[in-house]
Amino acid sequence: MKNKLKIERAILDLTQDELAKKIGVSRQTINSIEKNRYIPSTVLALKLSTVFQKSVNDFFELNDED
Amino acid sequence: MTLKSVLECERRSLERMKKYQLPIQFRKIGFAILIISFISLFANRFSINNLELKTVAKYGMLVGLLLTSLSKEKIEDELVRNLRLQSYAFAFIVGVIITLTNPFFSYITDIFIKGEKVSWYGVGDWQILWLLLSIQVFYFEFLKSLHK
Repeated sequence: MKNKLKIERAILDLTQDELAKKIGVSRQTINSIEKNRYIPSTVLALKLSTVFQKSVNDFFELNDED
Repeated sequence: MTLKSVLECERRSLERMKKYQLPIQFRKIGFAILIISFISLFANRFSINNLELKTVAKYGMLVGLLLTSLSKEKIEDELVRNLRLQSYAFAFIVGVIITLTNPFFSYITDIFIKGEKVSWYGVGDWQILWLLLSIQVFYFEFLKSLHK
């Protein structure tokens, strides 16, 4: 799964730590999602969607392997 | 009570059990107990030679590892829960494999090193528990270090 988390974070001018605090996770979790090492749960994806004010499909995308 | 409500009740109690963890402070307490027990065991082996102390120290190590294993992280989020589950699964599989193969390797090494045929002996309960807990604790730390 590909994601545009880093871009969305840059648009809002948020650091990994600030975004992590907003959705109640650790900075490491945000870092792992950005680097595609961890696929978040639906709950976390929807929390991110609330912060970015965008649909989940706008920043998460399935790739051919999924 | 219908079967459906009994099943729902069971499901809820299992969900509660899944979330059961100790506060973060227990991590340090567990680690301290582990270190003290290890030093006691080491000292006992080379100088004191007391059987009671040896037993207490061995079980102290297990209690220390268990407290470390059950205590929460500073931020216990879904990634940490995921890594924790992964570490328990890994510890279980590796622990069982080592327990099953250990008697065979002990037998082979005894023949080659001691040069004599020794009896086939298994792994004790303490060794199994120590193996499972220590693999879980160290593999969990290793997984966390990969996600820094």
